[in-house]
Amino acid sequence: MNAKSGVSTLRRRRMDGWRWGGRIFLLFMLIYTAVPMVWMLLTSIKSGFAAMAFPPEWWPSEPTLASYRNLLDPENSVGRDFLRFFWNSLVVSTLTTILAVLVAVPAAYAFSRFRFPGRRFLFFSVLLRNMFPAVIFLVPLFILMRFLGLVNTHGSLVLTYLTFGLPLAIWLLKGFYDNIPVQLEQAARIDGATRLQAFVLIVMPLSVPGIIATAIYSFIGAWNEYIYAYTFLSKNEQLTLPVGVQRFFSENTTDFPGLMAASFMMSVPVVVLFLVLQKYFVRALTEGAVKH
Amino acid sequence: MLPSYIAHQDRGLPTMTIVTGEASQVRQPRTTRLDLLRQTWSSRADYLYVLPAIVVMLVVIAYPIYYTVELSLFKTPPGLQLKDKSFIGLNNYTTILMSNVFWRVTLNTVIWTLASTIIAFVLGFALALALHREFFGRGMLRAIFIIPWVISAVAASYIWKWIYHSDFGIIGVVLVQLGLVDRPPNFIDSVSTVLASLIVVNIWREFPFAMIMMMAGLQTVPEQLLRAAQVDGASAWQRFWHVTFPHLRGVSTVTVLLLAVANFNSFIIPWIMTGGGPSNASHIWITHIYELAFGRQRWGVASAYSVLLFVILMTLGYFYVRALSQGDQREPGA
Repeated sequence: MNAKSGVSTLRRRRMDGWRWGGRIFLLFMLIYTAVPMVWMLLTSIKSGFAAMAFPPEWWPSEPTLASYRNLLDPENSVGRDFLRFFWNSLVVSTLTTILAVLVAVPAAYAFSRFRFPGRRFLFFSVLLRNMFPAVIFLVPLFILMRFLGLVNTHGSLVLTYLTFGLPLAIWLLKGFYDNIPVQLEQAARIDGATRLQAFVLIVMPLSVPGIIATAIYSFIGAWNEYIYAYTFLSKNEQLTLPVGVQRFFSENTTDFPGLMAASFMMSVPVVVLFLVLQKYFVRALTEGAVKH
Repeated sequence: MLPSYIAHQDRGLPTMTIVTGEASQVRQPRTTRLDLLRQTWSSRADYLYVLPAIVVMLVVIAYPIYYTVELSLFKTPPGLQLKDKSFIGLNNYTTILMSNVFWRVTLNTVIWTLASTIIAFVLGFALALALHREFFGRGMLRAIFIIPWVISAVAASYIWKWIYHSDFGIIGVVLVQLGLVDRPPNFIDSVSTVLASLIVVNIWREFPFAMIMMMAGLQTVPEQLLRAAQVDGASAWQRFWHVTFPHLRGVSTVTVLLLAVANFNSFIIPWIMTGGGPSNASHIWITHIYELAFGRQRWGVASAYSVLLFVILMTLGYFYVRALSQGDQREPGA
């Protein structure tokens, strides 16, 4: 009796140890994750002078939205540039997303359903794209874009962004289609639907979560992309946000509140998009990729 | 609405099968060439579905790979006038292997990739475990932890550059106020600390990815097995080591490989935060190649670097594809 309760106390104590370890770890990670973001926000509402105070003001004594007003004001040159970069990023990312979905959906469906020769080879060569960094392709792509007359156009970006979104998109979607029973389409075929109709009317609606996940992934990838935009675009009015912000602040190296405000504004659209739609993304990973 | 998913949940022991469907397919013995042609022709409509993806990939991948190999054998003038390039054989490759910078950069790359991958994976996995149990505020915490992965690396670089600032950086100030140091340390302007400082930033951006993947993986661990183990008196650690972890081996492999490749290929954080300096202390392969090509316009040497990189990545890629297609060879439950 005594021995038994002794063992269970020991076990309970060990359980508590794990639980406390978990809590301390969570707290540590929370500090690591959140402090940079909080500091960005606090700096962005300081004046340039207050940001350089020593010792620093933890909470700004005179909070001001001047940096944000500056960035969003179409009247002055900074605001005009920033809003244009923002618009450019939006156009490029949206176009990329639409095209990626249009290309990935049929490809993933074919990889999931059809048994044509070379299917495995093609599928894995698509996946292999993930392995290679942008830099490897940069010089020849630059030559190619020059040849196609696409340097300094958004077309060059959309074309290249397509390729880094595609592999994961196809992979995720294929997992999704694998989980949709073929019998559904067979039933539709028996009722007289063509193969394309069965695909569009039966399978597509069932794979909406996968398509949403694909779209988010492509959008975020395109929105945050830096290296191609940095190389292919040189005209100020063409730049996307990451490059535009970098170019702007390499000239104003001490305007940290402005830089933090710009970083914040740049992050808002993707963070909101992801947080709103994250359940689709996690589900697509669970259903499509990890689980079977 | 989706009965298939519910059905799949009860399928007993799920194995890591990412590429699905093939396992059940029996390979036909001995296909003649004519058969293959006939088969290809009869499924010609199928190719239409994958055609757009393949065309994009060919234009943007196959062509550049070919061209990079070609450029690596030539000396091309700085202005990239392709007419004036001259054939120099393997000279670009010997130039690389003879240079001191090469070894420095390679060492940096190895440290960067290994440290970032291992620490990001361990942190992400531990977080996934810590967040697996339901408790108040779990969704909120998960959302906060995901944010660093979603925001642009450019924004992250600037945020951390400000945090590491040698005069007004928050870490340095805190250290001074705690009396640990006399003056704020130079995190990213000093040869000895720069690489570690950048790795901290990189991990900050990447552990959420490991967390998401492992969270998805944890959902596939059958609850009954864990409960059975508990009834049998297994401790928390034993349950983790003997039940949870074996189920996650597949997803762990894929996550580690994806992280390793992403880290090996990272560019933005070192490029924006230090540009590879001071004195090459934070140059990794990718930033070095970029600088050689677009900074110093040594196209041939940069291309040769790219080809070497390509070979390394193909080796890694072999394991990646093998990990992804593991389910093909393995029978369910094996």
